[in-house]
Amino acid sequence: MATVSTAAVPAFARAAAAQAGASQTVSNPRAPVDATLTINGRDHVLAFDVRTSLLDLLREHLGLTGSKKGCDHGQCGACTVLLDGRRILSCLTLAIAAQGRDITTIEGLAANGQLHPMQQAFIDNDGFQCGYCTPGQIMSAVACVHENHANTDDEIREYMSGNLCRCAAYPNIVAAVKQARPLMQTASRD
Amino acid sequence: MASAAAPSPKANMGAPAPRYDARLKVTGEARYPADVAVANPAFAVLVTSSIAKGRIERLDLDQARAVPGVLDILTYENTGELKPAKFGQGSSTSIQDLGPDIFQDGQIIAVVLADTFEAATEAAQSVKATYAAQAPSATFGSQGLNSEDAAKVSQQHEHLPEAGDAETAIGGADVTIDGHYGTPTQHHNPIELFATTCEWTADRLTVYEPSQFVYGLRNGVAQRLGIAPEKVRVASHYVGGAFGSKGTMTPRTAMIALAAKRLNRPVKLVATRDQGFTIATYRAETRHHIRLGARRDGKLVGYAHEGWEISSRSDPYVVAGVEDSAQLYAFGAVKTKVNVVHADRNTPGYMRSPPVVPYIFALESAMDEMAEKLGMDPIEFRRVNDTMTSPIENKPYSSRSLMACYDRAAEAFGWKRRNRLPGSMRDGEWLVGYGCATAVYPTHIGPAAARVRLMPNGDVRVQIAAHEIGNGVYTVLGQMAAERLGVGLSSVKVEVGDTRLPPAPVAGGSNTTASSCSAVLKTCDAIRAKLFHASVTANDGPLAGRNVEELTLTDGKVAASDGTGENLADVFKRLGMSTIEEYSEFVPDGLEPDAVADLYAGKLTMTGGPHGKKVMYAMGAELVEVHVHSQTCEIRVPRIVGAFAAGRLMNTRTVHSQYMGGMIWGISSALHEATEIDTRYARYVNDNLADYMVPVNADVKDVQVILVPEVDHDVNPAGVKGLGELANVGTAAAVANAVYHATGKRIHQLPIRIEKLL
Ligand code: FES
Ligand code: FES
Repeated sequence: MATVSTAAVPAFARAAAAQAGASQTVSNPRAPVDATLTINGRDHVLAFDVRTSLLDLLREHLGLTGSKKGCDHGQCGACTVLLDGRRILSCLTLAIAAQGRDITTIEGLAANGQLHPMQQAFIDNDGFQCGYCTPGQIMSAVACVHENHANTDDEIREYMSGNLCRCAAYPNIVAAVKQARPLMQTASRD
Repeated sequence: MASAAAPSPKANMGAPAPRYDARLKVTGEARYPADVAVANPAFAVLVTSSIAKGRIERLDLDQARAVPGVLDILTYENTGELKPAKFGQGSSTSIQDLGPDIFQDGQIIAVVLADTFEAATEAAQSVKATYAAQAPSATFGSQGLNSEDAAKVSQQHEHLPEAGDAETAIGGADVTIDGHYGTPTQHHNPIELFATTCEWTADRLTVYEPSQFVYGLRNGVAQRLGIAPEKVRVASHYVGGAFGSKGTMTPRTAMIALAAKRLNRPVKLVATRDQGFTIATYRAETRHHIRLGARRDGKLVGYAHEGWEISSRSDPYVVAGVEDSAQLYAFGAVKTKVNVVHADRNTPGYMRSPPVVPYIFALESAMDEMAEKLGMDPIEFRRVNDTMTSPIENKPYSSRSLMACYDRAAEAFGWKRRNRLPGSMRDGEWLVGYGCATAVYPTHIGPAAARVRLMPNGDVRVQIAAHEIGNGVYTVLGQMAAERLGVGLSSVKVEVGDTRLPPAPVAGGSNTTASSCSAVLKTCDAIRAKLFHASVTANDGPLAGRNVEELTLTDGKVAASDGTGENLADVFKRLGMSTIEEYSEFVPDGLEPDAVADLYAGKLTMTGGPHGKKVMYAMGAELVEVHVHSQTCEIRVPRIVGAFAAGRLMNTRTVHSQYMGGMIWGISSALHEATEIDTRYARYVNDNLADYMVPVNADVKDVQVILVPEVDHDVNPAGVKGLGELANVGTAAAVANAVYHATGKRIHQLPIRIEKLL
């Protein structure tokens, strides 16, 4: 049953504002546009069809295939990434609208080969079976903790409800978020 | 670390080793088929029909062709070279052409190819089709359906179960039940979309596609293209959920292969979510008529079950779950019949526990009604009719732990607190109901081949084209090899999901662990035999002259029971070898010796379940608490307890997850899932993930899994019963029975939604 997803929302409103600032005139609407995107701390200078979603850009232009396509309609959460630390659905975000923002994908979560506590917690608690929803779940879970929406089991369940898992690993995902939360807080205090 | 996710192993259970592929999955490095990079791909977007029956009169492609970047458009006019594949032999459907005749809504009518996904999408939306449409027959109750006896049209189901004279037995019974039940259309909706990438190198084709049967797909695609199977490689190293939807070849694969050939360039397709509802299979809606007869003391005397299942106009797909339901209790006399009802729809196909999900819902609902009518506790009613002998041909069960499961589950659940009277338990404004039902799944097994390599330093490589669909196959095969070869799991490399490897059966029917582990076990034992032989036949050395029977392989040593041992490296030296590699083929009892040769050719035969000398089933008991709001009729499932027995368990962690996920699937079947059909157009209405209801995290509260030890030496050499499709069976009946207990209302038609209780 779909409870309303309060978790990941598309970054349309903010994206529109960002675009209005950029005064790029496009005569042929299908001609590639130039843009620089900052992904996992690195700048990428790119040219792409202006209609390209951030998800397709990551996957098809940059080979960052950790973010998954499960619906392309903002209904499953498999494509969740962080934009300036906030979780968004990359299938509902135009790549061009992510210019000048910090994009973090699942590939950017582990630091120097050291898993993020949330990644380790998903392993420890078997927070997946097929693993297809997992990158999206983990990105959402990291944001869920940062939003301070991981204080009780019910709160975790509610704020993780924008990420579908058809294998239904839900109770294990809740356990993983609980395990990682204090470790993330310790890490950010250091 | 013992946690809920990793239960401590009991007797005959393997350690909860973390998943072999866990790190790759949490870092995004696991490459699912659509993630595989190919050089300079063209992008394919499908166009599907907007009518269910009729003919394409005109296809206007001008506007689509004019979109910059468009490279080619496949239609029925330029795809004539594709050969048909026969339904039932690995092909999901007979509806394979892009037209001009239309047999179902959402039939593929064009494949648009362009330099970018964006251009292909734009062009696909510009394809204009004009049809001569006819009124379709959509589902039960529609005009123009035609119904056939499944025994006459489906070879697999020629002989449906029968025992004694059920009519007389039921007619003369003290107490009888006569009920009609129904289950809805459901779509698998794995989160991974139906993707296919095809790449040609000269006359060789590589297909990257999520598949539950790579050898079947390889041979099917080769046949459709008219090329030798050896020219085709299918790679599917990770599958993002399947649940049956990726077990048979769908029409898209050959189309994408042809497109890639025409363009002389790799082609990539990721079908949209709504297209997934019509370009692949689904669980068809069913209807059931059940009659049960019992004596006053609760002993059943007769069971009659007639089923009706929707299929496409062209194909007699049928699950005929009476084959399994008829084995479940000491029914006395049994009479069964199944009807295939043809409609203008896409062909249905396997979906998690295909035969038992609908049929056991109906039977286990009827069982609850009978218990109620007899005034018996529903668990005690099942105990009275428990049996070690199937009522069909009186075959013995290889093992059966149903009542042990009920007892463990009842204790954990607090079943004692149940007041038998419906509507008698409350929690504030909520009506409380307790319900139970049996989970059951046939133990299947198929042929398989494996190659295993052992190095002197203890490194092991296991190769077998089994399929990782979330079942944990990398992990359990690694565990099997590690155990037999006496090394740590971290020394084992496992390769699966590729036709470059020896074949394994379809990842369906929950046979994977049994079949593939048996093949790996046999191969590892061949390596052990070589090592042991070298050690005992040596002129010198610590084990010279010993009996091989007393040897084991542990911690990198060949060791005797008295502790004497010889290091692997020394045994290798003795053999004069730097590597031992063995290949072996495993053919289960009851199958023809050429079963593996058939498997190489994409043809699969399986045995088990009711078909052997003994009947083989995994079983479980599911107990649920349901809350129904007294005013709004909102339904909640605050907790569910399932206890299951399935022979040897390879890994309690992966098993726990499969059971847990299965029970959530069952709750979903009971309360949420149904594909709605617009009967005027024979079209699926809620073909997206917002409208097709599946549970989200907030829907799931307390799910408790109990692993009940069971030993079965008869099922297969590994002692393993399949279990991936066990826990979602019976759940819907348990929920329906609990809803009755809470409200006094029997709901015979799934899903149980608020409007049915108002
Ligand atoms: S792919 Fe973005 S929400 Fe499903
Ligand atoms: S792990 Fe398979 S969809 Fe979540």
